Amino acid sequence: MDTFDILCKLAPAFGVSGDEQEAAQAALDILSEYGEGSFDKTTGNAVFRRAGFDDSKKTILLDAHIDEIGFVVTYITDDGFLKVAPVGGIDRRTLLASEVTVFGRQKIKGVITSTPPHLEDDNKKVPEVSDIYIDCGLSGEQAKSIISLGDKVSMVNEPVRLLGSRVSGKALDDRSGVAVLIKTIELLKDKPLGVNVVLLLSSQEETGEMGAKTGAFDISPDMAIAVDVSFAYTQGEDKEECGELSKGAMIGISPSLSRELSDALISCAKDKGIPYQYEIMNGRTGTNADQITISKGGVKTVTVSIPEKYMHTPVEVIDLEDIDNIARLLAEFIGGLK
Amino acid sequence: MNMFKELQTLCNLNGISGDEKNVRDYIISQIEGKCEYNVDPLGNIIALCMGEKTPDKKLMISAHMDEVGFIVTYITDKGLIKFAPVGGIDPRVVFGKRVKVGEKGVYGVVGGKVLHHLESDEKQKAVPFDKLYIDIGADTKEQAEEYVSLGDSVCFDNSFITMGDKLKSKAIDDRAGCAVMLDMIRHGVEYDTYFTFVVQEEIGLRGSTAAAYTVDPDYAIVLEATTAADIPASEDDKRVCELDKGAVVSFMDRHTMYDKALYSLAFEIGKEKGIPVQTKTMVAGGNDAGAIHKSRGGVKTCAISVPCRYLHSPSCVISKSDLQSVRALAGELSKRIFQL
Repeated sequence: MDTFDILCKLAPAFGVSGDEQEAAQAALDILSEYGEGSFDKTTGNAVFRRAGFDDSKKTILLDAHIDEIGFVVTYITDDGFLKVAPVGGIDRRTLLASEVTVFGRQKIKGVITSTPPHLEDDNKKVPEVSDIYIDCGLSGEQAKSIISLGDKVSMVNEPVRLLGSRVSGKALDDRSGVAVLIKTIELLKDKPLGVNVVLLLSSQEETGEMGAKTGAFDISPDMAIAVDVSFAYTQGEDKEECGELSKGAMIGISPSLSRELSDALISCAKDKGIPYQYEIMNGRTGTNADQITISKGGVKTVTVSIPEKYMHTPVEVIDLEDIDNIARLLAEFIGGLK
Repeated sequence: MNMFKELQTLCNLNGISGDEKNVRDYIISQIEGKCEYNVDPLGNIIALCMGEKTPDKKLMISAHMDEVGFIVTYITDKGLIKFAPVGGIDPRVVFGKRVKVGEKGVYGVVGGKVLHHLESDEKQKAVPFDKLYIDIGADTKEQAEEYVSLGDSVCFDNSFITMGDKLKSKAIDDRAGCAVMLDMIRHGVEYDTYFTFVVQEEIGLRGSTAAAYTVDPDYAIVLEATTAADIPASEDDKRVCELDKGAVVSFMDRHTMYDKALYSLAFEIGKEKGIPVQTKTMVAGGNDAGAIHKSRGGVKTCAISVPCRYLHSPSCVISKSDLQSVRALAGELSKRIFQL
């Protein structure tokens, strides 16, 4: 499937941490022709086994988290406004006047309240999440009949094309990673492999990598690659802290990762002429790899990151070519495993 | 045509102050053949709708076509677009929003340094306009210049949605007024009436200044969207006006002391006809009445507004019932004004 079309199915789907089923199902639907997948209601994970799974072979786990940042409803006022708490690292600079989806008994639309400039003395301070309300245009009674405390809320922004092969939308962190896994499985279709390939579309990464912990335990892989987004340079950033958009896979090197796997990916990229860049970290990675590496008796793990601008905003930007190139790298690497 | 459907059409058109052509073209396409009109040097539409009666006084009903937005001021070597606000926009509603740039309407996003790399004091501060930029996906100035030129207009990428009995969109200020006037023109008027669809309200009531001079009315009714701050964060006395409480008729705002007789008449009509009418509980905001009421030797002026939450943001919210109240009150007042 065309990479942008995949993103158009994955990114708009609802998947705030703890309520990942809709997003997971969107991914499983696309994958269904390549193997068997299922959603686990206990953990919120979706696990997909590539066709031809064989117990005598070693297993490589490819992980990408399916959840996205958002909010949880904590209170409903008598006049129908919602108070919320953040789920994951919300960028408070993006809150005011944003459109949201509330996942109540039915999905409803809302906007985050803002005080109009005519009445605002201080428009230099970013509001706390505890200062905002969500307006769904409903009376208190209507709101309370559709929405319950604990319901999740996501930002809204379907993916759109920018110039070239760039795309902007919400939840590209980490539906882009899920897209990489889907493209990898597509590229490996009907290829005889020396290993089993299992995908973990993990839940609750944004709230503490819960899904990766339980998922890696259940799958017991022999090695793993965690695919997530990472910082792409943009104006105002420090170049030393970022990768570059459109320059290919950011292959992780870190004391907590398997250097053997990092080196193997790098040499695979070199051999095949696939673009890559380094992402050097000095300890934990802040990704699901942190959980997978220490699952059970330990798992050799590496991170591969998709460069992304404006992470944790509704206008995250990625490059479709990066997704395609990273999928190519993973498919080549897996194809070479014995 | 259904007034709400037409409001959607109008709100989806992009027309910041000084670049109202899309809105003007649509309005002309709708009034053609229903009234005489001309377009003045500033781009105002001045239309005369003939009624059954020709009164000895002149009434001008006015709404503005322009909306708040941005103008492209600079393109960086890296292809990022710098911009300035056109009209009063809180910079905090801009960061992280999607916009459409220039005549080609290319998508752009307003971004900046990522949250994870902000110093703790930066996290508390809104990003001011001079630090914001639009990213259209270009890497170089040359690439950006294929799609964008200095002076291009920028609008919020709109999503017009229904939320219960409320409507949410950009540009409700003042396409709501335009939609009401188009509905009045379609239904016909009892007395000859001037309808002016004016430009450049958001940068200082400039179109209405010229239009009021040209029309030289005795009475004016301004149809607008006004700030409703009926949100939990504001105290009762700071709410200005509230949704679902009807058309807003104010006694005073930051530009105008409204005509007392028209103010009273509006409330009388409301009572008689069962049209909900409310006033503003704060002296806040302002609209084209500020220019019209002091045109030439003075014009008796009234403003009828739809209460609107989150004005000047991409997510203005109004109630359908209030827009109907504005329509009903404007219709009645435009007749009764001649019996004063």
